[in-house]
Amino acid sequence: MRHLRWLLIPILVVPLGWLLFTGFGRDPRAIASPLIGQAAPTWTIATLDGATLGTDELSGRPYIVNFWASWCIPACVDEHPVLASAHETYGDDLVVVGVLYQDAPADAEGFLARYGDAGYDNLVDAGGRLAIEYGVTGPPETFFVDANGIVRDKQFGPLTDALMAQRLASIGVGR
Amino acid sequence: MATGTGMIPSIGHAAVLIGLGLTAYALVAYVLAARGGDPRLGISGRRAVIGSFVAAAVGCVAMMISLLTHDFSVLYVAENNATSTPPFISVISLWAALEGSILFWALLATGWAALVLHRYRDRHRQLIPWVGATLAAINLFFFAVMVWPGNPFLRTAPVAAEGLGPNALLQNHPFMALHPPLLYLGYTGLAVPFAFAIAALATKRLDTEWLRIVRRWTLIPWIFLTLGIVAGAWWSYEVLGWGGYWAWDPVENAALLPWLTATAFIHSAMVAERRSGLKIWTSAMVIATFVLTLVGTFLTRSGIVASVHSFTQSAIGPWFLAAIVISLAGALTLLVWRLPNLAGDGRPSGTVSRESAFLFNNVLFLGLTFAVLFGTLLPLLVAATSGDTISVGAPWFNTVTVPIFIALLFLMGVGPALPWGSASWATARERFAIPVIAAVVVVGLVLALGLRDPASVGTLGLAVFVAAVMGDEVVRGARARGRTRDENPALATWRLTTRNRRRYGGYTVHVGVLVMAVAVAISSGLATDRTVTLAPGETATIGAYEITHDRLVVEPLANDARIIETRAEVTYSGPQSGSLGTALRDYPNSPTVVATPAVRTSLAEDLYVTLLASDAATQTVTLHLFVNPLVVWIWIGGAIVGGGAVFAIWPERRARRVTVEHPQRAARPSVENA
Repeated sequence: MRHLRWLLIPILVVPLGWLLFTGFGRDPRAIASPLIGQAAPTWTIATLDGATLGTDELSGRPYIVNFWASWCIPACVDEHPVLASAHETYGDDLVVVGVLYQDAPADAEGFLARYGDAGYDNLVDAGGRLAIEYGVTGPPETFFVDANGIVRDKQFGPLTDALMAQRLASIGVGR
Repeated sequence: MATGTGMIPSIGHAAVLIGLGLTAYALVAYVLAARGGDPRLGISGRRAVIGSFVAAAVGCVAMMISLLTHDFSVLYVAENNATSTPPFISVISLWAALEGSILFWALLATGWAALVLHRYRDRHRQLIPWVGATLAAINLFFFAVMVWPGNPFLRTAPVAAEGLGPNALLQNHPFMALHPPLLYLGYTGLAVPFAFAIAALATKRLDTEWLRIVRRWTLIPWIFLTLGIVAGAWWSYEVLGWGGYWAWDPVENAALLPWLTATAFIHSAMVAERRSGLKIWTSAMVIATFVLTLVGTFLTRSGIVASVHSFTQSAIGPWFLAAIVISLAGALTLLVWRLPNLAGDGRPSGTVSRESAFLFNNVLFLGLTFAVLFGTLLPLLVAATSGDTISVGAPWFNTVTVPIFIALLFLMGVGPALPWGSASWATARERFAIPVIAAVVVVGLVLALGLRDPASVGTLGLAVFVAAVMGDEVVRGARARGRTRDENPALATWRLTTRNRRRYGGYTVHVGVLVMAVAVAISSGLATDRTVTLAPGETATIGAYEITHDRLVVEPLANDARIIETRAEVTYSGPQSGSLGTALRDYPNSPTVVATPAVRTSLAEDLYVTLLASDAATQTVTLHLFVNPLVVWIWIGGAIVGGGAVFAIWPERRARRVTVEHPQRAARPSVENA
C-alpha cells in the first residue's frame, strides 16, 4: 500500500504532458478556405505598371494569386524567389499574379527593386476588395486556381519550392 | 530610419550568453553548498544570481535601444516595430511578442531571485542553498530558451527597409504598458514560494519556518497577479469593443488558474502556520501554483490554443512542455517522498471551526481550478482524441463556476468569524444573527425596488451578509480595545487594524472582492444593449441616453499615416452628456479592423459605444450601444483588493508586535503559537 502513493506522479504528469504534447503541429490559425472547390472570384484591376489585368485575359490557363506586402518580412522576402522561379519555369503554362495587400505602390516598387522583379503582374488592390473576396487573413497567402477557374488549394504562410510543387500539382501544373 | 547592423544587439546577445553562464554557475554552486560544501559557494552563487540580473537588465536595455532606433537587422524589431512607431510604443514592444517577453521575464525572474537571496543572505542557512538552486534552475531555463529556440537578438539578412509594426491590439491602448508587466511580476514572483517549498521538502525542515517566510513572498506576487488580471479585464473592456470584460479566453484562464491556487495557498498556509494542519495540502498548492504559471505561459505563448494572445507558432513550445513535465514530476516526487514527514501532526478541530472553513475554502478553490483547467484544455483533448474542433464558451464556464464563486462568497463571511478549534452553536448564533437580518432586509428592499435577477439579488444579499460580519467584527474589536485602553472609537479602530495588519488587511481584500462580486453580478445581470443604424442627424435611445450621429470621418491617424481610422462622431445626452468618437482602425499588419470603442464612465454606469459598420457613401453608421451598470466598481474593487493586501504585508512596528489585541484571540491564548 505504501508504495502506491508513487503512482500519483505518473497519474498526474503523464496525461497532462500527453495532452499538451498533442497540441504541437496544429496551427490554430490554419483555417481551411471555404473557397476551395468553388469558382474563384473574377476581377479586372489596375497593375503596378499602370496597365489593367482581368480574369478573362487569363484564357483558360491555371493561375496563382499571391497576396503580399513590402512590410511582410521575412515571410514575403523568403517566398519571393520561389514565386519568381515558378514564373520562369512554367512560362505560359502558369500565370503568377501578385496582389499588394494593404501596401503603398511606391513601397511595393521599392521591394521589387530590392529583391528582384521577375516580371509577373502585381495588382494594386485599392480598398482591399480582392483580399476581402478571397478571405485573406494575412500575407503571404496564395491561392491556386485551375484552368477551369476553380480554387483548388491555398497556402497560408510562405511558400517553399517543395510546397509550391505540391500545391501546383493540385491545379495540374508541373506533372 | 533603420540604422543597419549596430553593436547594440550584439551586446544584448552577449549579455544573454553571460546570463546563461552565470545562472548555470549559480545552480552548481548552490547545489554543492546545499550538499554541505564550502559555505563560500553559497556566497559566490548569490553573486552569480545578482550578476545574471544585471545581464538580463543589459539585454532588456539593448532590446529597448534596438526598438527605439528601429534597428531592423534584429528580426524581433523588424517584426514588431516600424519607423513610424512612437517611442512609447517602441519601449513597451519589449513585451509585445514572444522573444522579447521572455527577455523581460528573465529580468523579473532574476530580479526576484536576487532580491530574495540578498535579503536572506545571513539567515535560514539550511533552506537558502536549496532556494537558490531552485531559482537558478528556473532562471537557467529562461536563459537557455533565449540562447536556443527563442533568441530575441536573432539577426535578419538582408536587412529590411521597413518593419512590420507593432501588433495592432497592443498599440491601441496605454494599458498594454501595464497589464503584461503586472502579470509577469506575479508569474515570476510565484517561483519564490515554490523554491521555498522545494527547499523545505528537500531539507525536511517542514515546520512553520518556510511558511512564515513565504507568506509575504506569496502575497506580493499575488498582488501583482491580481492587479494584472484586473488590468487585463479593463484593457479587454476598453479595447476589444464587445462590451464585456471577461470572456473566459484561454489566456484569461491561464492567468486565473495560478491565481486560484495561490489564493488557496494563502488561506491554507494560515492553518498550516497556526494549527500545523493542512501541510500536505499547502505544499501541493504551492507546487500547483508554480506549475500552472508555466502551463499558463505555455498555453498563452505556444500558439497551441488560438486566442488574441497567441502571436506566433514557435519552437519554444516543446521547451516549455519539458519544463512543465520536469518541474511537476520533480516537485511531486519530492512531495510524495516526504509525505510521511508531512502527515498527521495537526491538532484535531471541530466540524464547525475556522480550520474547516479554510478547508472548505481550499476545496472550492481547487474545484474552481479543475473546472477552469478542464474547460480550457477540453478543446485540446477533443482535438487529440476525435480530431474535432470544439470551443468551450463563456456559458459553460459561467454555469460551472458561478455557484462555486457564490459558495466562496458565503464562506468569506462565515470563515473569519468562526473561532479556531471548534465553534459552539451559541457563538455561531451570536455572530451571525445581525448579519443574517441585515442581508434579509436588503434582499427584501431590492426585491421591493423591482430587482428580479436571481444571481444579482443573491450576490447582493450575500455581500451584505459578509460585510455585516466583518463590520461587526471590527466594531467589537474596537469597542473592546476602547474599553480596556480608554481610547476613543476612531483611535481604537485605527490601532486595532494597524496592529493586526494581517487580519484587517485580509478583511479589506474581502471588501474589495465583495465590491467586485456585486459589480460583476449587477453589470452582467442588468446591462442593456442594442444595435442601431443611423444616418447623420438621426437619434437613438438606450436606457436614459439619447445618442445622435453627427458625422462619419475616414482619415489616417495623425501619428501613423498607415493606420486608417473610420470614426463615427456622436453626441449623447442623459445622465452624462457630451460628444464621443467611436472608431474602427485598419492597421496594415492586422487581418481585421480593430475596434476602438468609446466608453463614458460614471460611478453608476458606463455608456459604451462601438462602431460595427459604416457606409462612406451615405455616411450611415451601425452602432452597438451598451449601458453597463456599476462596471467602474469592478476596477475600484480590484484597487481595494490590492490596497488591502499591501496593508496586510506592510511591516508592523516590531516593539508592539507582542501585544494581543483581539478579544477573541486574547481569550484563547493557547492557540496562538505563530
